[in-house]
Amino acid sequence: MAKWSMVIDLDKCVACQGCSIACRFENNTPAVKPDEAVAGRAIRWNDVFPYPVNAGDEATGEYPNVTTRYMTRPCMHCENPPCIKVCPVQATFKDEEGLVHQNYKRCIGCRFCTVACPYAVRYFNWREPEWEEGMENFLNPDKIESGGVSEGPAVRPKGVVEKCTFCIHRLKKARARAAAEERDFRPDEYVPACVQTCTGKARYFGDLDDPNSTVSQLASDTRAFRLLEDVGTHPKVIYLQEG
Amino acid sequence: MSKFNRRDFLKLTAAAGGSALAWSGAQALLDPKPALASDGRLTTSAQDVIVPGVCALCPSGCGVLARVADGNVVKLEGNPMHPINLGALCPKGQAAPELLYNPDRLTGPMKRTGERGAGKWQAISWDEAAQLVAEQVRAARDAGHPESVAFMHGDTRGQQRSFFGRFMQAVGSPNLISRESLNVAASKMGVYLTQGVYAQPAYDLENSSYILAFGASLLEGGSNPQRMISGFTYGRRGRSNRSKVVVIDPRQGVTGAKADEWIPIKPGTDAALALGMANVIIKSNLFDSDFVHNYAFGFEDFLADGGKSRKGFKNFVLENYDPRRAAQITGVPATTIARLAGEFATSKSAVAVLPGKGGLLNGGIGGVYAAMAIYMLNALVGSIEAPGGVLTQQYFPVKAWPFLPADAVARKGLQAERVDGAGTVFPLARHAYQAVAERVLGGYPLDVLFLYDANPVFETPGGQKFVQAFEKIPLVVSFSSFMDESAQYADLVLPEPTFLERWQDDYIEGLGYPGIALRQPVVEPLYDTMNTGDFLLKVAETMGGSVARAFPWKSYEEVLQYRLSEIGADWETLKELGVWLVPGYRFAKRGSQRWVDEVVGRDRLNSPRDGHFDFYSRELYALFGAKNKGALAELGITQMGDAVSMPHHEDAPQSGEAAEYPFTLNVVTLMSLGPKSEAANMPSLQEISGMTVGETWDSWLEMNPEAARELGLRDRDVVWVESPFGKVKTKVRFVKALRPDVVNLPYNQGHTALGRFAKGRGVNGLELLDPASEPACGLASFTNTRVKVRGA
Repeated sequence: MAKWSMVIDLDKCVACQGCSIACRFENNTPAVKPDEAVAGRAIRWNDVFPYPVNAGDEATGEYPNVTTRYMTRPCMHCENPPCIKVCPVQATFKDEEGLVHQNYKRCIGCRFCTVACPYAVRYFNWREPEWEEGMENFLNPDKIESGGVSEGPAVRPKGVVEKCTFCIHRLKKARARAAAEERDFRPDEYVPACVQTCTGKARYFGDLDDPNSTVSQLASDTRAFRLLEDVGTHPKVIYLQEG
Repeated sequence: MSKFNRRDFLKLTAAAGGSALAWSGAQALLDPKPALASDGRLTTSAQDVIVPGVCALCPSGCGVLARVADGNVVKLEGNPMHPINLGALCPKGQAAPELLYNPDRLTGPMKRTGERGAGKWQAISWDEAAQLVAEQVRAARDAGHPESVAFMHGDTRGQQRSFFGRFMQAVGSPNLISRESLNVAASKMGVYLTQGVYAQPAYDLENSSYILAFGASLLEGGSNPQRMISGFTYGRRGRSNRSKVVVIDPRQGVTGAKADEWIPIKPGTDAALALGMANVIIKSNLFDSDFVHNYAFGFEDFLADGGKSRKGFKNFVLENYDPRRAAQITGVPATTIARLAGEFATSKSAVAVLPGKGGLLNGGIGGVYAAMAIYMLNALVGSIEAPGGVLTQQYFPVKAWPFLPADAVARKGLQAERVDGAGTVFPLARHAYQAVAERVLGGYPLDVLFLYDANPVFETPGGQKFVQAFEKIPLVVSFSSFMDESAQYADLVLPEPTFLERWQDDYIEGLGYPGIALRQPVVEPLYDTMNTGDFLLKVAETMGGSVARAFPWKSYEEVLQYRLSEIGADWETLKELGVWLVPGYRFAKRGSQRWVDEVVGRDRLNSPRDGHFDFYSRELYALFGAKNKGALAELGITQMGDAVSMPHHEDAPQSGEAAEYPFTLNVVTLMSLGPKSEAANMPSLQEISGMTVGETWDSWLEMNPEAARELGLRDRDVVWVESPFGKVKTKVRFVKALRPDVVNLPYNQGHTALGRFAKGRGVNGLELLDPASEPACGLASFTNTRVKVRGA
């Protein structure tokens, strides 16, 4: 079984936000109304932002020697995810390949997980998602659903928490394709939408258990770090620091 | 709460009663299926096809692959075959389904019925529209004044540009006016006056180890952002051969933040910095002696015709641009200038990148001199037509248009003065887009004005003048897909389908080698729209006579098939791949025939095409050498003699006294909203537009915190930004990485039309800019307007 992992090279990231929007169209996250966006309720599973957040005034250094940094942040798909432990209904769980799932059919919208997640990558649907007339045409028709399971990217209802899935439907599709062609599935047949679109080719994706994969080699690079390493979550999103 | 188990939870839901939220949760609990398995079945569309195309939301022209699921475009990916984006796609391209399915798109051709601008329209048929246009164009020709037909266009490459050219040639009007005077013309002019090629160079960033970017906003809003991003990050693929990138710009922005070094230069002084560097390079004998002595003109002093001694670039720079003087002008320390010069001259290879849109050059003739000075850095170190340096963009040979029969009316019309004054009022200009309004109001009679990818009312400084100018034009035709600021004052609005629904080819520019990419209808057009090429064919047919004979094609698709019939790929292959190229740039050897024919001197009009790069611009000498002080001053040139023909620093004429208006205003193009009006009506782009400062769906004024605090302002205060030309109200946001004497407003907000997502969001900074054009080259004055800021 593969252990899916993403490496993001911040030296190559140009903060274009292509990942944010690729994710939106792949996963049907709604563009919320302007006032909701102003209130901080925009849903972008993979957000890009300056670090520190109020970089304009708090960036490191004094003019003219100012260092401004940008971060991009998907779900870390932790090996030890705090969100799972607080979920009272087991709507969120980790599978044998290390992906942290969210079952929208089970989610009751208690938002414990959004608080427990130290990376703030869980997003609550405060309202029924809406698309202006005609714009629902571009929704991704892919759907993981059966019985008590609903894992998107079909539109989520109001009142559930949603998050980055590493585009698990793409994985399922790739597996189905391999099966239909009666051959083994290879880990390089699947990448999430953000990895595919990355303008700076800053993102890498693959199997962390395979010592020959790009991600596992980059994971041992001297520039490699993980967010909040000390809290014991063991993220599978690995960053490479700038310069 | 030590443990919260299912039983507790059930009690809780029972207490909550029958709320929908609780009920769905309870249902989930009662579901017999185990939760801890990814057993969801995947279903998808019945039919899924991938169709290639080309994005049109910025000048990069990235190849896209559209996923069409059951007839709907649901996702775009980058086309890995397209060498500009190599499979990547920026947020604009990713959000393109919001353009295609935008609820504010125009659904068919319309004719104005009420007062101009009153918003009263009547639907008409395409035949009627063609009839109306044909009549008016024919009347202009019958009256012997075909030049009263003008065509303003934005970004258009490939066959369409030359198709428009042919249409105007057949009609007999010289008035085909490109938007380039708003952005890239200063850079093109800089290359033209030195290398003799009127084009933006391609940069071989992949083989460069030192990239010096002058105000180029390389990674965000330059003239080819995705190409630059690809090159930039290629240099960072491994640490051992990591290239160094230095950004010279008053604003750090994302580009400066991502670069290895940011030099906050005083706006409008780039020439002095480049010349200060040249001074050090020459003094230290680090220049490419073979190039400057054997393939360049005017490096050393020389004897002109008549035996008069002329000063060459070397001595001119040594005498005038000591780094200490350059430091005084630019605000960049002399030691920094010297260090940059040393790094630049000793890196193999180094390249200096000219600004495209978003640059700070366009302030006056000084901007053109600055472009020359920057470009000469490449020449000094031998980076012209060299690996890791600048390349000359090559194109596929396309099949020539059929012979256009000469026509007496057209021949006379084509000799007429241009409506924008290019070549007459503005002696060096090829296009002066923004000047059209002023000239029409000044008495140049226009009968028909076409607007293609053109929204001059919004996108030019003082654009409201166009509203008045339109009053004087009997027929204004907009091809916009949206009711934008200009279309709403037009007589006819003939919407073109979006780039995902139309036939069009695009030249791949930025890598040097030739390439063609194809747009095709990824889905059938959603509305009653028509490709502008098809419409012009219809107009030509309706007109009959010589104009109709010039266009023997039934459709624009046929036109493309004809023109691209000799590129080496058949039509089906081109449709399937979306791109066709001949990868691998062929460098011309210095002094070779190809060097002379294509690389150095190719486009010169008034000076020898002898394969010599001009350090002393013979083109400028031919045009301005004989002018007296007064005539030069009118062009914005304060120097005399040899200096006129060589790059030098000119203080940009500033509108607004420094004492009253202390800040230079810089209107910056963002990666998200980009350079095209329609992007402002895409909700996802609005949402992410203010990422750098944490704003969304709005404008903001970027200001250095120290400068702002001196005015008693706090972060997020509402302020008035006022110039001698207007004022706008917005929110101030502190940005440490910005010169204290510069403020920025993001471009593409403040729409008063266009659609529900764009209208009424933020302010348009261009309303504050000096509407005058730069007198020599006809450039819009984008960066020499001062403003004051006060709390509101």
